[in-house]
Amino acid sequence: MVLTADIHLPEESELTVPEVNLSGASLRAGAFHLGKYCEHANNEFMLCRFEENDPRKCIAEGKAVTACTMQFFRKVKSACMSEFNQYANCIDKSSGDFSFQYCRTTQGVLDKCMLDKLGLERPDFGYFCEARVHDTKRPKPLEEPKAVYPDATPALPEDADRKPARFGSRFYWMTE
Amino acid sequence: MDCAVARKQDLPPPGGYRPIPYKRIPAKQYFSGYAMFAGFIGMTTGALYLQYLTYKQIKKHEIEMRSAKMAIYPMLLAERDREYLKQLRRNRDAEAELMKDVPGWEVGTYYGEKVYKLLPNDTLVEPIFHEYYAHTDPKEWYKRAYIKLMS
Repeated sequence: MVLTADIHLPEESELTVPEVNLSGASLRAGAFHLGKYCEHANNEFMLCRFEENDPRKCIAEGKAVTACTMQFFRKVKSACMSEFNQYANCIDKSSGDFSFQYCRTTQGVLDKCMLDKLGLERPDFGYFCEARVHDTKRPKPLEEPKAVYPDATPALPEDADRKPARFGSRFYWMTE
Repeated sequence: MDCAVARKQDLPPPGGYRPIPYKRIPAKQYFSGYAMFAGFIGMTTGALYLQYLTYKQIKKHEIEMRSAKMAIYPMLLAERDREYLKQLRRNRDAEAELMKDVPGWEVGTYYGEKVYKLLPNDTLVEPIFHEYYAHTDPKEWYKRAYIKLMS
């Protein structure tokens, strides 16, 4: 394998946190409220992940995301469990791709419960497809400096004699 | 003359043959040309309108599905990253354990020769699929590689 012994990999104990043990249908059912509830943690993690492009550097942010998700689903469980289960069941069984369009009634029931008991509103349509600006405290990773090659061919001096090409352009049909 | 038998000459039937039906009888025309053009344009317009409605509906559905995926993606990615790093460590340990009796073998290299020589130290190069599954049961490899064909 390409991983040598001097590459730092976190210990298993550093990486073990309580994971979200939910089915796909349940995650889909809670997706919109979850995305709104954990927006800051999610944005922080995704920005880190795409800026650093290295899973090792964003473990803390990832743990925050998972902790926030756990907190959200615990809240839902305590406040709107039956509505949530009803909606998740509908999403699971109505279509093959966890489609939302067949479950508007149960969705309305869940939304009402979320708004009344947790004060969480369903975000606008297409909210998570929009580009967003995130303000973070984490410093930006340094850009890779431009490579300097000591044995590169030196460029023409500024005052060099620049004659026209002897045989014209190779791309004469494009340039003339 | 010995033509005693009366011969009957082959002649047209009395009153002559029926006339040869050569006259063109065109099929009945329900619509004139202009009506056909108008019908074509009308039907196309109607169909385009229906397609516009369906297209809008499909796009809305796609956006909603994508939104839901994007909303849970950070959580899934965080979980995946942790599990991935754990597995990388397990793989490296398995390689060290497997090759401990081979003199001169260094983990992650070919007898000390690195795969990527110019990368800065401590750069995580993600192993390719076959390397990642090198220390598992081939069955697991097969399951993962062809999971889409089986499910």
